[in-house]
Formats: sequence, structure tokens, C-alpha cells
Amino acid sequence: MSGLPRRIIKETQRLMAEPVSGITAVPDEHNSRYFHVVVAGPSQSPYEGGLFKLELFLPEEYPMSAPKVRFMTKIYHPNIDKLGRICLDILKDKWSPALQIRTVLLSIQALLSAPNPDDPLDNNVADHWKSNEKSAIDQARQWTQTYAKSNMNNH
Amino acid sequence: MSGDINRQMSHMSEASSMGSDGNSSEDLEEDNDYYMDNTDDLDLDCPSKADDPEYFEYEPLQLIDAEGMLNEEIETLCTKLKVNPSTAKMLLFGHNWNKEEIIENYQRDPQGFLIESHLASRRKHDKLVGARPTCSVCCRDFTSDSFLSLACGHMFCRECWDMHFQTQIQDGVTTGIECMGKECSILVPEDFVFEVLTQPKLRDKYSKFSFNDLIKSHPRLRFCPGIDCSVIIKAKECKAKKVECQACGAIFCFKCGLNYHAPTDCAVVKKWLTKCEDDSETANYISAHTKDCPRCHVCIEKNGGCNHMQCPSCKCDFCWMCLGDWNNHGSEYYECSRYKENPNIAHESMHVQAREALKKYLFYYGRWENHAKSLQLEELTTDKIQTRTQKKVMNNEGTWIDWQYLLQAAALLKKCRYTLQYTYPYAYYMEKGSRKELFEYQQSQLESEVENLSWKVERAEIVDRGELENQMDIAEKRRQTLLKDFLEV
Ligand SMILES: [Zn+2]
Ligand SMILES: [Zn+2]
Ligand SMILES: [Zn+2]
Ligand SMILES: [Zn+2]
Ligand SMILES: [Zn+2]
Ligand SMILES: [Zn+2]
Repeated sequence: MSGLPRRIIKETQRLMAEPVSGITAVPDEHNSRYFHVVVAGPSQSPYEGGLFKLELFLPEEYPMSAPKVRFMTKIYHPNIDKLGRICLDILKDKWSPALQIRTVLLSIQALLSAPNPDDPLDNNVADHWKSNEKSAIDQARQWTQTYAKSNMNNH
Repeated sequence: MSGDINRQMSHMSEASSMGSDGNSSEDLEEDNDYYMDNTDDLDLDCPSKADDPEYFEYEPLQLIDAEGMLNEEIETLCTKLKVNPSTAKMLLFGHNWNKEEIIENYQRDPQGFLIESHLASRRKHDKLVGARPTCSVCCRDFTSDSFLSLACGHMFCRECWDMHFQTQIQDGVTTGIECMGKECSILVPEDFVFEVLTQPKLRDKYSKFSFNDLIKSHPRLRFCPGIDCSVIIKAKECKAKKVECQACGAIFCFKCGLNYHAPTDCAVVKKWLTKCEDDSETANYISAHTKDCPRCHVCIEKNGGCNHMQCPSCKCDFCWMCLGDWNNHGSEYYECSRYKENPNIAHESMHVQAREALKKYLFYYGRWENHAKSLQLEELTTDKIQTRTQKKVMNNEGTWIDWQYLLQAAALLKKCRYTLQYTYPYAYYMEKGSRKELFEYQQSQLESEVENLSWKVERAEIVDRGELENQMDIAEKRRQTLLKDFLEV
């Protein structure tokens, strides 16, 4: 693809050469600004054993504007809503042009390890988390089994 | 009130008994001063203003005057601290325009204060390596003189800075633009933006937005919230007091910018309005223009603001709000505005408690909403008075001055009912106890006098002028008493 900013080319090269552990991000063969991402559920989290598909899109203004990221696999998490949108500060007002795709992916991985029900995107899930954390974690584990099993047949 | 029969449906019909009964013009002027809003008159010596709980000093400014005022404050700080105007602006913006505090903190520890204000940094500046260093944002190579940094020393190429500013300004961010560095919160001052920014259009946008930010951050300035109104109100202090914009007529609270809301305070009225919005589905059924007479069951349409109704068919007097006998409403024990809570509610089931909570809300919401509606209907009464006065004057039946008291009565009625409307959110959130009892007592007194005034204004032509003026005085006194006891600013 011609006209792709040097910054995106560099980042893509680096993602391929030194991938982040537990994450794959592959650019779409027809659109170099669109990435197919798979994040493995972190160990010791209710998402362990699951593989979560995400889409990541670099808008025209990137890196002045943040990438657009969304979960495609259903996930039970207080900071991720039914549509798969993610509540993460660096994807919104805390974005800085010096951040990169890999920083974003690492932050998402960290969010799976440490859900934050005090800054929720889905209020129902967050309330569940706050009122009965054990039951909420069970639910998240169950969803991981149902929707994110490693064979990737479901999403 | 014996002559009022059948007038509930045809207020303000033509009658010729409206007459001046010899009140001197001196009396009139005195009354004028008492209840008219002379907001342009900032005379403190007037005794009635000193104990007016709603008295507030403010003046309207045009954009250019407000700009001048801000520039003056910025210049003062520049001279005092020997900093450039861009820095002074950011300091004032970040510290609530508190010059004294800024000067004190700056003089104690200039560098520390600038760091705390996100305008300086202890960070070591980036080193540019080689003849053509790489910009970390665009990954392209440039000569060293193409790189720029703020106080934090994060080096990026000029093109990237320009792109960064463009994106931010398009999003409406100006005074809050930060450095592009990772986790760097150093703010970008105006002069740096203007030095880099290439598009003249965005320069204008930046100036406009940042001016708006500055006004909004200034504790003594407020944009008038009126639609398409460009007036800026300047007050001596930031208080939840009433401002009436003379350009557009908007009446709002200086502190929060919402519709004026005494005796309720800013936070409570906001909570109330949010609740009303959230519960709008549940409360929908309340709005009714017609009700059945509680005695003869004939259908009655409400076409005036007054809630003291008289059935055109059986002539019984009843209250539009509770459908109870009106005769009970004038007494000391007026109960219509008071919600009687179930005293055993704590021991009831969740289900019963929820139903009770809804009942309570609907009680207050109903009265709040009904007064809002009455205000709208009374607006029509004012129009009618105006038309009729015009006619009288044309027919040489007295001069404008002679009939002015009718308009004044209508204006005062509006003011009293408005305050009455805003007593309901206050009462809704009040804790049980003696203070609530006092509040409800004063509320019921105001309620009763407002309806008496409304009744008389709607029948102004057959009500004696002295009687009407007396009623005006009583209603306003009730209003003032309530505000003096409960308006906290
Ligand atoms: Zn660059
Ligand atoms: Zn920086
Ligand atoms: Zn205005
Ligand atoms: Zn307010
Ligand atoms: Zn009747
Ligand atoms: Zn009643």
C-alpha cells in the first residue's frame, strides 16, 4: 500500500519482528491500517485459557489520534461493554502521539489481569463485580469457557 | 369574592369597573422600588436592598470588554512576575485567577511553582543524535533545527507538533493541549502553538476556544446561558445568586448557570433535574389539562394559572392540585403542599418501600410541574392585561401609569410562583425534623398567598386596587421570609 506513513510501517515491522508475548497483531492483507489481534487471557485471571479476538484500526490522524480498538469475542469484564468497546484512558483523553500499538495492546492485556469496577463501562457488570466479586469472577470464567475457547470457533 | 362566580372559565373578560382609587403616584413609586428588578442600578445605599436575600451585584459585559478585563489581569501578572503573557495566562487559568495566591507561590519558589503548574520540568532534555536525527512520532529523519521542545525537553519535529495542534484544536482542546511525550503533562502555552501552527483558520479557532476557556475558568465571569446571547456577566463574587440578563431576558444562577433556583442550592437542583429527566416516563401521566369537579363531576378545563378552582356548574371551590375543598387551603393548617410520609416505612417490605418512594417523588414532582404550568398560563394573563391596558389608554381611560400596577402585579405573581416552584426540590431532599417543619410551614403560607394573588390578578378588573396591592405585599413578604430563612449562599 502506497502512502502509508513511515511511522506505521516501522511499528508494523517491529510488531512482526519482536511480538509482544501473549499477543498477535497481524495487519489485514488489504488494509495496512487494520490489524487482526488475538490476546491470550493472562494467567491467574478469569480469562486464562481463552483467546480473545480484537480489531484494531489506525485512523487517518494516527498517531495524533488514538487507535480504535474493539473486542470481537464476547467477554465479561466491567471495563468492556456488550459491543466490545474498551474503557481505557490511553484510548481516550490520555492518548499521546508517543504511545504505540504495542503500548495499547499491553495496556489491554493488563486490563484483563486487573479489572477496574470503579471506572466502569458496563454498569451491570461493574455492580456485580462490586457486590459479589467471587460470583462475577465465576461468570467471567464461564464466559471465557463458552466464548473464548482456544479452538477459536466461537466469537 | 362574591362576584367571582362563573369567572373561572372567562378570566379577564371585559369589565369597566377597573379604576384608580386615588393612590398617589408617590405610593406607586415606592412600591415600584420594592419589587421591581432594577438590576442595572447598583446603588448599595438603598435600605431595601441591604436585607434583600436575593440582592446581587453584577454587570453585563460585551465580549470586547471581557477580553479587556482578562488582558488587564494578565498584564498585571506579567509585570509582577516578569513572565511572558502566555505563561501568565496559563497560570491564571490553572489557578482560578487568584492573582495573590499565584504571586505568593511564585515568589516563594518560581521553578517549583511552574512545575506544579505543568509549565516547567526537571526532566533532562532529549539529546539529538547525528546529523539527521529521527522524530519518534513520525519516524522520519530531519536536521536538528527542525526539532522543537517545550520545557520538558521532549523533542519532536515541527511537522508533528503542527499536526498535534491541528488535531487537538479540531477537537476543541486549546488551553489544555499537552506535550506529545509519553505520560508528559506539560502544557503548551499559546505562543508555542502560534509559532508552529500553519493554518490561519485554526489560529482563529484556537483564539476563540481559548478565550471561551478563560471566561469559563474565571470565577467572576459567566457567559449568559440564553440562546444566541453573547453577553458576559461580571459579578463581584461567585455566588449562587440570581442574574437577569437584560439583553435576552434569561434568569439564571450565577454560580451554576442553570435556571435560577432559590431556595434550592446548585447541587440539589441539579440532582432534582436529573431525577426528573430519568423518571420522566413514570411521571408522564400527571400532566392533565382537565379534571372532574370533585362534587358534581363535570369536566373542567384549567385555562389560568390559579389553582384555586371554582366549578362553573355547581360553584364549589376546590384545589386543582389535590381536589380538596379550597376552604381548608387558606388556614394555618394548610396541608396541600406537605407530603405525609408513612411513619412505619422502615419496617415495611422492599416492595412497599419502593412504592412509597415513588409516591413521594410523584407528590413533589406533581406540584413542581403544576407550578411550572401555572407560570406558563399566567404569562398569557400578562399578555391580556397588556392588550387591555393598551385599549384603555387609547380610549382615554387613564394613562399607562394608571394601569401599570396591573402589570406589576402580574410580574410579582410570576416571581413568587417561580420561587414557590423551586421550594419543592428543596423540600423533597430535606431531612425530617424541625427545620423541615418550619420550611413546610413557610412553604404552605407562600403557597396560599400566591394562589390568593393569582385569583385576584385573574379578576383584576373587579378587585379593588388597594386590595390587590395589599395582596402583592403579603405574597412578597412571605417569599422574602422564606428566602431569608432558607436561602444559603
Ligand atoms: Zn515528526
Ligand atoms: Zn514533554
Ligand atoms: Zn443573555
Ligand atoms: Zn446554581
Ligand atoms: Zn361542580
Ligand atoms: Zn390542595
